[in-house]
Amino acid sequence: MPEIILENVTKKFEKFVAVDNLCLHIADRGFVTLLGPSGCGKTTTLRMIAGLETPTSGRILIDGKPVFDSKKGVNVPPNKRDIGFLFQNYALWPHMTVYENIAFGLEMLKWDKAKIRKRVDELLALLKIEQFEKRYPSELSGGQQQRVAIARTLAPSPKVLFMDEPLSNLDAKLRQEMRAELKRLHSDTNSTFVYVTHDQLEAMTLSTQVCLMNTGLLQQYAPPLTIYNAPANLFVAEFVGNPTMNFIPARVVSADSCVVTLDVLGKRAVFSAQAPVTGLSQEAVLGVRPEFLPLTDDGPIEGRVYSTLPTGMETTLRVACGGAMLTSVVFGSVDYPVDTPVRLSMTGSRLVLFDKASGKSVGVGSVEMA
Amino acid sequence: MKRNHPDDLTREPLVYRLRAFVCKPANLLLVFFLCVLVVLSLFPMVTMLSNMFTIHLGTEKKITRLPTGSWTLIHFQNLFKGNEWSRVNFWDPLRNSFIVAFGAGLLGIAIGGTVAWFVTRSDLKCKKFISSVFVFPYMMPAWTLALFWTNMFQNSRVGGGNIGMVESIFGICMPEWFVYGLFPMVVVIGLHYSPFAYLLIGGILKNMDATLEESATILKANRATIIRRVTIPIVMPAILSTFLLIFSSGFSSYTVPVFLGSAVKCYTLSTKMRALIQAGYQGQGYIIAFISILLGCIILGINQWFTGKRKSFTTVTGKSGQVSLVKLGRANWPITIVLIVFILFVAIMPLISFALESVIRQPGNYSLSNMTLHFWIGTEDSAYETGMIAGILLNTTMWNALGRQVLLALTVALIVGTSGMLIGYACVRRRGSKLARLVESLAFFPYLMPAMAFGTIYLAVATGDQFKFLYGTFGLLVIVASVKFLPFASRSGVNSMLQIAPEIEEAAIIFGVPWRKRMTRILFPIQKSSILSGYLLPVISVMREVALFTLLVPYARYLLTTMLFSFNETGYAQYGSAVTLLIILIIMLINAITNKLTGASFDKGIGG
Repeated sequence: MPEIILENVTKKFEKFVAVDNLCLHIADRGFVTLLGPSGCGKTTTLRMIAGLETPTSGRILIDGKPVFDSKKGVNVPPNKRDIGFLFQNYALWPHMTVYENIAFGLEMLKWDKAKIRKRVDELLALLKIEQFEKRYPSELSGGQQQRVAIARTLAPSPKVLFMDEPLSNLDAKLRQEMRAELKRLHSDTNSTFVYVTHDQLEAMTLSTQVCLMNTGLLQQYAPPLTIYNAPANLFVAEFVGNPTMNFIPARVVSADSCVVTLDVLGKRAVFSAQAPVTGLSQEAVLGVRPEFLPLTDDGPIEGRVYSTLPTGMETTLRVACGGAMLTSVVFGSVDYPVDTPVRLSMTGSRLVLFDKASGKSVGVGSVEMA
Repeated sequence: MKRNHPDDLTREPLVYRLRAFVCKPANLLLVFFLCVLVVLSLFPMVTMLSNMFTIHLGTEKKITRLPTGSWTLIHFQNLFKGNEWSRVNFWDPLRNSFIVAFGAGLLGIAIGGTVAWFVTRSDLKCKKFISSVFVFPYMMPAWTLALFWTNMFQNSRVGGGNIGMVESIFGICMPEWFVYGLFPMVVVIGLHYSPFAYLLIGGILKNMDATLEESATILKANRATIIRRVTIPIVMPAILSTFLLIFSSGFSSYTVPVFLGSAVKCYTLSTKMRALIQAGYQGQGYIIAFISILLGCIILGINQWFTGKRKSFTTVTGKSGQVSLVKLGRANWPITIVLIVFILFVAIMPLISFALESVIRQPGNYSLSNMTLHFWIGTEDSAYETGMIAGILLNTTMWNALGRQVLLALTVALIVGTSGMLIGYACVRRRGSKLARLVESLAFFPYLMPAMAFGTIYLAVATGDQFKFLYGTFGLLVIVASVKFLPFASRSGVNSMLQIAPEIEEAAIIFGVPWRKRMTRILFPIQKSSILSGYLLPVISVMREVALFTLLVPYARYLLTTMLFSFNETGYAQYGSAVTLLIILIIMLINAITNKLTGASFDKGIGG
């Protein structure tokens, strides 16, 4: 099974730069998600790896073999790259039955009839769509169409499977179900998956590596939990996690290797990083995930409840503290009347300090507040 | 995770980029069509422009004593000077064209809009019948109503003195202004395009979101206020754009002014254009052609600016099922009957009239003893005795002309249908690129040119030195018609390809399906019906086209439609009626076949 390497890949549409000098190493049998807001270049990246889009410059290797190299004029057409592609809108051929849709790719590989029959039956069984064999795509529900599309993509047993937001057209419940199926499929088929999504939850739950992009630039390429716990910059920190991380403005009073003294919300706070802090100027931003900002009776931060959003399992609180609005998550269902005075504290060792000017993370650690 | 550009960011060498460009079929198609269209639509335009400024053979060479081909402004001076000649040959026809176009636009909107409102917004009876028969006049060639008008109202006191149906049955002689000239032109063109207004306005009325009006009701607006403040403003852009389209069609109409104006020397710009060119005033004719083209561009520009600006008004949602229909109450049946009588008169009556006119020996006498089938099946021998030609069904000239027209229609359809589809494919695949935009607008360019002006342009080319071999050939007609009818085909090609998500093709690319197979096994089958109608529509267009061919045929009886006009000019009204009936029948047959094959129908989606 192959690994995929992108070297300095750039794609421009006229003057607009869709993907800017991207370098990526997708490990064999990985499940990599390209994550980012719409227009960030993630779909373009996927299409370039698949060969549906031609990069403006750079080099792409699949399984050690260059499939695109702008300097040597190599550009292997998609059908020679041994890949499968699952489209967002499934792209099932409306004038062919389910069977014909799945069999079409195999016919193109000049398989004989009996062998095609056998393979299609296998896939129909794998995806539990045997009973729809003779139906047309328009006669199927969204979830069933999705399964047919997967079956069609898997039919020629591609080494790499590309998926472009395959679940975004499904309803919430079905999406949950298909996520589980896809993860299972990944381990069953033993292939490399590259998956595009704008849904951070999908990226977190499915992948082994997340590649977070914004405006054509790679922001961070790391395992999901690293992205969550140690975001590389403000953009990543804000994009991943729901409810969103709290960004509290802070002024640097003094900084000494791992220990930074800050002025936060009018109080003195000491930030102890896990590694020496570099690249910090006067103005900083303290990033605190809502779960690290619990309600405590003797917490140093005072505020009033602005609104309460109970979901049953947990409750999201919006608390007004002086000029800032903070978000806190507490376990269980609690309903506070509006304007109840509360106290918050900062706990845990995964608070992130960002330099305000560059937006970059300068350290992860814990905070002691006076 | 390098984020800095390497300083020596070498772009791929030109050769590789070229290779990448060439391996996409869409690119090759675009380059091909770019070359073809530049030659076939830009080059003739340039030729015509240069002809506006040069001395031609014949009288003007003698008068000016300048060598043929030398540069001059004399045509402009002649045409615009403001003396009697220029008034008769330019200013009067210009004014007439404006009056006809403006009047026809208003009339078309009034009739079409009224019928559309009744059919979509009231509980009128017999909606299905009204809706399907009302579009008839639009399907028939425009001149049929003109011919019908003269058949009905001509009388012993005006024009050629032939007696029409009204005089012969009721003994009423209509005054000349009613029979010939601007008034009947306005009426006939207005009637011809009223189904067009009906289709456009009706479509909007039908699809307009009922909640827009309902929310006004909830805010306590009464019915009249709603119509005035909500309904009309929403439909207004459609009405204005329909008006502009009818205006430009009316302005460039050639056949109707020929039938209704020639007898009283009432010219419009299109009929004048032909007269001038045939009288040796090519330069002036080309200037008029250029003015028509310019006007077409301006109108299209206004229209696009208008619809573009107000596009958001025509927001259509799917939930328009519960439109509450206006109850017409006791007026329902009277209105229904009036509408049906009117529609029968403009849609069915012409056919009956043509059938009648084609079997009477002496015009104006509808007694059984005056009837003959000579004009249909008379032989050469009997024809010789009566000083006429053989009946059209036994007439080799007629059959040859029909054969040529059908062959022309089929050839053009094949070329236009295929090109339209390929242009559609290529432009959609490379959408946004400069090349695709260029090809798309070049393919649409001929739409801006009135048919007469377009024929004129090609006449200029074919009478030039390099392309003399084209003059009077079948090939020239094929080229002209193909370019002229390409706009609609390429538009519909683009639209039908836009409906197919690119992923549908990409899914096949990944399986290694070659381009030809992707087209024949995936894209064609999906858009079968719209592609088929792309082939069939040009057939109808060619079968009823006159203005485009009239200057280019080697002799008048070369094609069926041009032959019909020569019958009219030489006074063989019966043959004219017979040939018109024949053409209408052929067009209806083609239309029926189109419906059967594609399920597309003119009035689909509006009828009750």
